[in-house]
Amino acid sequence: MHLTRGQERLLVDGTAAQRKAMGILVAIGELYGARGLVRITSAHVAGASYKMIGDPGLEFIEDFARDARVTVPTTVNPLGTDLRQWKELGVPPEFAEKQARIARAYEGMGVRPVYSCTPYALGVRPALGEHVAWAESNATCFANSVLGARTNREGGPSALAAAVVGATPNYGLHLDAGRQPTHVLDVRTKVRGFGFSLLGLFAGKVLGDGLPFVRGLVGGEDDLKWFGAALASSGSVGMFHLERRTPEWRKARTRGLPTVRVTKADLDATKAAYTTADDADLIALGAPQLSAEELREIAAIVDRRAPRIPVWVFTSRAAREACPAAVATIERHGGRVLADTCLEVTLLEHRFSRVATPSGKGAYYLPSLCKQRVILEDIETLMERFA
Amino acid sequence: MRIPARRIAPGRAEGVALVHPAPFSFVGGVDLGTGRLLDPASDGPGERVRDRVLAFPHGKGSTVGSYVIYGLAKRGIGPAAIVNERAEAIVAVGAILGGLPMVDGVDVQGLRPGDRVVVDADADEVLLPDVKARPVVSVLLRNRGRVLLVQRSGKVGSFRGRWSAVSGYLEGDEDPRERARQEVREETGIRSARFRHAGRAVLARHEDTIYLVHPFLFDVPSRRVRLDWENVAHRWIRPAEVATFDTVPRLKDVMSSALSLQ
Repeated sequence: MHLTRGQERLLVDGTAAQRKAMGILVAIGELYGARGLVRITSAHVAGASYKMIGDPGLEFIEDFARDARVTVPTTVNPLGTDLRQWKELGVPPEFAEKQARIARAYEGMGVRPVYSCTPYALGVRPALGEHVAWAESNATCFANSVLGARTNREGGPSALAAAVVGATPNYGLHLDAGRQPTHVLDVRTKVRGFGFSLLGLFAGKVLGDGLPFVRGLVGGEDDLKWFGAALASSGSVGMFHLERRTPEWRKARTRGLPTVRVTKADLDATKAAYTTADDADLIALGAPQLSAEELREIAAIVDRRAPRIPVWVFTSRAAREACPAAVATIERHGGRVLADTCLEVTLLEHRFSRVATPSGKGAYYLPSLCKQRVILEDIETLMERFA
Repeated sequence: MRIPARRIAPGRAEGVALVHPAPFSFVGGVDLGTGRLLDPASDGPGERVRDRVLAFPHGKGSTVGSYVIYGLAKRGIGPAAIVNERAEAIVAVGAILGGLPMVDGVDVQGLRPGDRVVVDADADEVLLPDVKARPVVSVLLRNRGRVLLVQRSGKVGSFRGRWSAVSGYLEGDEDPRERARQEVREETGIRSARFRHAGRAVLARHEDTIYLVHPFLFDVPSRRVRLDWENVAHRWIRPAEVATFDTVPRLKDVMSSALSLQ
């Protein structure tokens, strides 16, 4: 792989963190055949939940933070609990303490204290064609597809390395050729709201690591967020094109591609396949974190029909602070609005074993990461059922 | 013996091989406190990875594996080096974080636990000082979906009576493809074989010798075969039937390699 003189210097004469960061970028670049590094305008790092990275991750992050500094605006993924509510949630003190150390280490590197899986909803909006290094599969998919920015599906360490160096290996989704579709996803049923999660779950499983060109779908930005999050969970999909909607759809060449047709029966079967519980102790909303607007909608729904089991809503700190009335409404009905954490990386399993959620990504990860059985259903139906 | 490899993480290290034949996850695969392998199938303590050359086909599982490799290396209980068939990002990043030399492109089934191994990532090679290399060609002849197996005679130097593909030793810096063509002429009398594919090298281990097998696929227009003294019988089989024959080591993998990308 070709390195500039400045990059060579970092690799040989940089600080310990810079040498390690360059080492990671070179190894990954050579592994995937990159010709060089490309400068990035932002990074989003995964690997902040103590539940996910454990003591090995904590140890590495703290060691690395001793002399690592990020050189581009950098956000980081959700933590393993809301550090302002952990006691009320029954989180063990040792867990909270180690979680706080991880957060401090990241902040010490100059990372913005934004623990979110939706940096795109918090003002980090790279422009069409801009190169970034984002971990977190839903954020990657959103940045590539909806914003037209360019990032591979980074891992935690590779995104952190890119943040320190300010560049990332130039291969895959950074190149025009890597952004061409591999399949046509022909949606033959009207998809609304919750249906975007089901569609994503279904398509991801069929596509594997493919890149779909989607036809027959109309949706807003939040809809595409739910679609992409589920798509990037059940599949290793880093990008989709949506006809007449996403910024690069006109450049996509679809001639001769295999077509995957989706019918209502496919979506119904997907819902049934991910539903493994017949009752629930908790309704969980988020994965990805809810936007401020979604938070207000949920508050209105909860207020209309108060559920008899608790509702936990996962959102960003900024959205929580922007909607005090909605938060008060949800809490008044026995619910919680948790910030800086998210459904599948948070500690739930110490209290619950069955969760109902409309999140496709949540339904995909809850069994393995949180040891939960799941009811996958839209929010209105859940509120009726658990009223 | 020298095995060509690809550098994943820089450095050079020497150690005794520890071979894990299946894809490997450091999370749940090694105890971070003791550096011992965790084998769910056995109750006893697993082997220590410390100072060993850890060889496995490729990584799998949680991305936290990178941090486990770092932690092992930091405690001084990590492997000396890592050898893979096909590297992926979790182990590659872990090797960089832990400062461990790592290479890939090596058929790890050629290694035996206890082999002395030098991993020289900077020279893109793995050395086995106590192991002899015998480079050979192994040629799969194909005709209408069937491939040729021959049974080795009592007069050949090794693996007498076993089933094999057409094969022969490479001498000096002979061109493997030319040698392959020549062996086909000698062992089967076929002069019109058409080259189709050269597969990735397979390391067939036999005691202190590694047969460095270069697999080839040739198509032939007819199934007429004239055996020479090296073989006593022949069969045209469907590739899947190889499992029912008593073959030379790793013939099945040689066949897969020869037939891949077809």
